[in-house]
Amino acid sequence: MTFAVELKGITKRFGAFTANSGIDLAVRQGEIHAIIGENGAGKTTLMNVLFGLLQPDEGTISINGKTMAIDSPAVAINEGLGMVHQHFKLVPSLTVADNIFLGMEIRRSGLIDRAAQVERTRALSQKFGLKVDAQERVAGLSVGIEQRIEILKVLARNARTIILDEPTAVLTPQESRDLFETLRSFVDDGMTVIFISHHLEEVMAVSDTITVLRDGRVVATRPKQELTKRELVRLMVGRDVSFDRRPREATQGDAVLEVNDLWARDDRRLAALKSASFSVRAGEIVGIAGVAGNGQTELAEVLSGLREASHGSAKLYGQEITGHTPAEIRARGLAHVPGDRLARGVDRNASLSTNILMGRQRKAPFAKNGIINWSVVQDEMRALIKRFDIRARGPKDVAKSLSGGNIQKVVLAREFTAGGDMLLIDQPSRGVDIGAQEAIHDEIMQQRAEGRAILLISTQLDELKALADRIIVMFEGRIMGTVEGNTMDEDTIGLMMAGVDPSDVKEHE
Amino acid sequence: MKTALLPDGLTRTLAGQVLAFAVALSLGAVIILLIDENPVTVFMTLMRGAFGDAEKIAGTLLQTTPILICGIAACIGLRGGMFNVGIEGQLFLGGFAAAWVGFAFALPPVLHVVVAIACAILAGAAWVAIPAFFRVRYGTNEVVSTILANYIAILLTSYFTIFLFKRPGGWSETPPILATAYLPELFSFSRLNVGLLIGLFLAIATAVFFRWASTGYGVTMVGSAPKFAEYGGINVRKVGFGVLLASGAVGGLAGGVETLGVHHRFMEGFAPGFGFDGLIAALLANGSPIGTIFTALFFGALRAGSLLLEVDTTASREIITVIQALIILAVSADLMMRRRGDRTGERRWKF
Repeated sequence: MTFAVELKGITKRFGAFTANSGIDLAVRQGEIHAIIGENGAGKTTLMNVLFGLLQPDEGTISINGKTMAIDSPAVAINEGLGMVHQHFKLVPSLTVADNIFLGMEIRRSGLIDRAAQVERTRALSQKFGLKVDAQERVAGLSVGIEQRIEILKVLARNARTIILDEPTAVLTPQESRDLFETLRSFVDDGMTVIFISHHLEEVMAVSDTITVLRDGRVVATRPKQELTKRELVRLMVGRDVSFDRRPREATQGDAVLEVNDLWARDDRRLAALKSASFSVRAGEIVGIAGVAGNGQTELAEVLSGLREASHGSAKLYGQEITGHTPAEIRARGLAHVPGDRLARGVDRNASLSTNILMGRQRKAPFAKNGIINWSVVQDEMRALIKRFDIRARGPKDVAKSLSGGNIQKVVLAREFTAGGDMLLIDQPSRGVDIGAQEAIHDEIMQQRAEGRAILLISTQLDELKALADRIIVMFEGRIMGTVEGNTMDEDTIGLMMAGVDPSDVKEHE
Repeated sequence: MKTALLPDGLTRTLAGQVLAFAVALSLGAVIILLIDENPVTVFMTLMRGAFGDAEKIAGTLLQTTPILICGIAACIGLRGGMFNVGIEGQLFLGGFAAAWVGFAFALPPVLHVVVAIACAILAGAAWVAIPAFFRVRYGTNEVVSTILANYIAILLTSYFTIFLFKRPGGWSETPPILATAYLPELFSFSRLNVGLLIGLFLAIATAVFFRWASTGYGVTMVGSAPKFAEYGGINVRKVGFGVLLASGAVGGLAGGVETLGVHHRFMEGFAPGFGFDGLIAALLANGSPIGTIFTALFFGALRAGSLLLEVDTTASREIITVIQALIILAVSADLMMRRRGDRTGERRWKF
């Protein structure tokens, strides 16, 4: 049998570091083959080798049964491979059609034939069911559409085997579902899809065959039917990881945060948070569930002082916090793990020590009389690296050299040790490895046990199920209802997240 | 796990800069050949003009001083994410203010200098306060407003000089300042004065401030990651305003030092281009005050060297402007290439 792609014994080293070690991978024609593994497992390196961006130190590559050296992406494209990178490479000021034909413009007497490009784009768009407006400029399009353009780019170059690197990382759940339907239709047309991910659910949902990488090696290749989610995790991480509800003791104390009839507008000045009322007690984790973009971001920003409330009140330890600056709210005991980690949570170009100093640059022992004592800061960072198991060489590492999960641990480490007893945690495990996610959950449970009040905003129901004592469901800026964590039923929450009133939900049963 | 295992950083930076200089100098050589001069002679004359003897070195340092102080003004802005292109205007107003205190008031020796310098600083800060206010209150682009403020400042000082305070006689200049307001000279053979020491002190103080002061940390964070700074409880608007004000104040100081130390009066168009040279020196040093000492020295040497160039060769001093421009182009091309190599690719300063 010939395979669309067959890799044998691929080894790729960077200096002393082996990113891929003796990897065998056989992708059948007409299947969706998922490659799953944690960050750093070697998925992207492997795909770069296949696509000709990197040269393997050992091993052979065959495409459609033909063994060959792929020494540049041009060769790969010629052989019918197409790659959609994780970070899109589009020119914002050009139109959709111009972007698709960039580098292979259709010409007529030396000039670009724009009409023909638009025509071809429309034809492709129709044939593959990827809806785009060929003449629109790319600037201002949503990431979902941008990805469609990237896929069309690959299709326009006659790819029969499409590689997608972490395609859903930037998509909303709806956009992800659309993407999966598109991928399915490709396969029905006899094309082949290689799909790289570290997201379990979607791999289980969309793929036919799954190859698991760990530490640069293949640990398993199996048809999806033979795998369960739990097994997959064990293969990826190398040990059992629990997603079960965390055992807990009742430790609830007095109300720390009381929100009453709180309203706020989004950046377009539209009402985004509508009459929210709830409270969070000491030693309690209150979860906020909802599809992204239903007012959770605005809620977090109002509570942390980054956005103005248009009406209503929020009290921290009985003191009003609306209308106060982030610094004042922090001084009253709020610690905040922001959802937009890379923009808000860190300075990516600064060292870990510099990042950990934020908010305490005037506090002893880190500073005295307005002079920073960097050696104390370095020591603190070293201690935090140890305590939070941050994978970094030392306090002088630049933040962006760390993986997403480790950057998140740096943010958690800073906020959990800032002295605040009210923790506002937004999307703690977005883009974080499963192993790191477990450690982050452990730390959140530890904070609960120490009597802190925790408001946990997450779009992942699994996470809320594991951690939250109560779950508040938001839809279009309103609170649809509250569910007890130990009795929660995913279907009920799912319907509430879609805007169905909980009393109606009960009637359906 | 990615390919970025090269020992990047210093080696790469230095190699790049040296290459950039080499490219610029060879292009400069081609242009010198085009005007029928010998590039080697021109470069040697330049070197001799800048560093030939103690007097020449002092002349170079004299040219370096205002560029250095203006460069520090620019560094302060850049670190806080503000692009103050109005240093030239602040320099002119600062220079005029110092001269005015110098000739209009009689004060005891040391006090006279202190008051004059203080007025120069105030004038620079006041002049940038207008664009700074519009920047933090309404989000007006400070690049545009500070550039425009330059024209007003330069013409305003011309007006003051010609119509209000003109010295009787031919030149468009104010009466000379009193000797009590002179900045002390360092050597008997040159007009080089303590202004240079003020500049060096300022460079070191600024570097120390950004490295060790809590406030300096806040400013740096606002400049490099404004959303992170806001989230961390730093008042981004207040810092932005303060940074522009400080930058303008130092720009004013540069003018004061130039007036009190070198010219001892205010002349129309007394310091052409020092503000812009300072800005470029700061940019080439990537916003580092210590680095600016060296880039400012380089520009000072070019300016001083070009004087001898006009005397000893047929090349005009404009050739220096051409070489300077070539060097700036080559060095910034190197900077851009390094930034593109950076995976995240974002620019530290947006302008």
